[in-house]
Amino acid sequence: MAPCDYLFVFAQAHEEFRVPELRSIAELHGFPVGFDRYTTEDLADVVRRPFMILKLEEEEHARLLANRCILIKSIYEFYAQGSTYDDLHEANKRVRSLWERYIPDTSFKFTVIGYNHGLSQRRQRDAIESFAYMDFLGKIEMRHPEITLGVFEEYEDDRRPDGCRNVDGEFKQAYFGRLVAEGTARSLIRTFDVKKRAYFGNTSMEAEISLLMANQTQAAPGKLMYDPFIGTGSMAYTTAYFGAHVYGSDIDGRQMRGKAKTPGIIRAAAQYGVAQRIIDLCTFDVTRHPWRCGGLFDAIITDPPYGVRAGAKRLGRKKVRDDRPPPQVPRPDPNEPYIPPTKPYELSALIADLILFARYQLKPRGLLVFFLPTVTETYDEVDVQAALCEGMEIVANSVQGFGSWGRRLITIRKTAAESYPSPTFDSANINDAGSLHAPAHKDFREKYFQGFK
Amino acid sequence: MVRLITHNLLACHAKGCTTNNFPLLLKDVQIELREQEFNHDFIKNILPRLEWRALVRQLGDTSLPLEQPEMTDDEFLQKLHHVLLEIHVVEGVMICPNCKHSYPISNGIPNMLLAEHEIG
Repeated sequence: MAPCDYLFVFAQAHEEFRVPELRSIAELHGFPVGFDRYTTEDLADVVRRPFMILKLEEEEHARLLANRCILIKSIYEFYAQGSTYDDLHEANKRVRSLWERYIPDTSFKFTVIGYNHGLSQRRQRDAIESFAYMDFLGKIEMRHPEITLGVFEEYEDDRRPDGCRNVDGEFKQAYFGRLVAEGTARSLIRTFDVKKRAYFGNTSMEAEISLLMANQTQAAPGKLMYDPFIGTGSMAYTTAYFGAHVYGSDIDGRQMRGKAKTPGIIRAAAQYGVAQRIIDLCTFDVTRHPWRCGGLFDAIITDPPYGVRAGAKRLGRKKVRDDRPPPQVPRPDPNEPYIPPTKPYELSALIADLILFARYQLKPRGLLVFFLPTVTETYDEVDVQAALCEGMEIVANSVQGFGSWGRRLITIRKTAAESYPSPTFDSANINDAGSLHAPAHKDFREKYFQGFK
Repeated sequence: MVRLITHNLLACHAKGCTTNNFPLLLKDVQIELREQEFNHDFIKNILPRLEWRALVRQLGDTSLPLEQPEMTDDEFLQKLHHVLLEIHVVEGVMICPNCKHSYPISNGIPNMLLAEHEIG
């Protein structure tokens, strides 16, 4: 079947995440999505608007996307667009072959929706009547029509440039198509709302973002995921929900356990019906990990500690004094659990180590998905490129901005086929005097507390 | 938790512990059996990463063959599923046969943190 145009209606949030999410899910299912209408420059602008026209080979692909991508509101078979209704109708008449099959006896209804402008009942009726030339003979069915025809009026903004209210008909563009799929994944944002979770903490990732992260990993049944900084488990719930099995570890066992006997992460996972797919939780420092071998995981998904709310630390001692005797085997005290000393883990070293670790621990073609906090003013793409090691390639880089700083969701694929040994986790000691540009995220913690001056 | 699959994937990485550091010896264990939905693909995918001998020896019965079989039919994968995912070590200790480091398991979560003198 020849590829067709589809009108995608997107949520107006997390604009940079839209295309990566789409591409990720299309890749998971093994079908292409055609972006031919847009150049790379166009894309940066068009993702700020709700409508995009993309090519798909089959209607079923639209349903698969709408069922999984949380940024999709709905998908229509695209018929026509125009900057006026006259232009739209002319274009619509030219594609009669797409909709004439519905003329004889298909029950239908029209919906007319305005973006950035409310449309009165009267206006909606007038718009619908302007399509009378289509001559549909079937019954009008408001509740369960066989097809729904969608008319969209997109206004530039919610006010005109002069500050006055929008005038009916003075829209940027109108679109018309036949509803193929409603975005059913969006309701998961409510399902995973952190405030309703059985166990969460102040570092728990918000629902929308943990869902986007899970989609970047292409989580699916049969796959194995790992979060080495699992904390309160936010990313485990969404990846497990999509069918994957998950391992989690953290240097701080209390974050995983909470105060009750049943570990908090397991209680929250049970709330979502996915407790069985959390295989195990372990307390350890990923830089001194106990994994017997590498190449275990289809994806590593994590929000590493930036050192701001959660202490970014690793085993070791901050100040190693020359006059101090070497560390002794600790005297066992039956009343006190032994707590080993920790030292700070500077962010750019942590990130470089994480990428090396992922190369060791991912299967070939596996994906590393993580957040990188960055300083808006000094960020440069090379900050991420320079953290890569051989055999790891950037797939996506989407920013969630908070003004003077932001966090970037990075997706990296392991393109190397060979196995690598477990890294030594000493990126902090690598002499980078040769590089001219210190990444924006270096010493992020200090920069954050100084207000990014 | 701790499931037998996990026990099969953990070794002791204390400083200098590079041989005879797997599998960890289980001691003073409290076991629970918990039913779990079978996922064919998951079991099939993890199979190549398992240390078969260690798994069978830990299991200590004849429900799994001594040698990893060539043919992996559904019946075999179901038995493997039971061993890997349905047997939980809820309390106990895992001890490194080489350096004797003791990793305690509490409420199904093992503490694999190393002491200061073990991180080098």
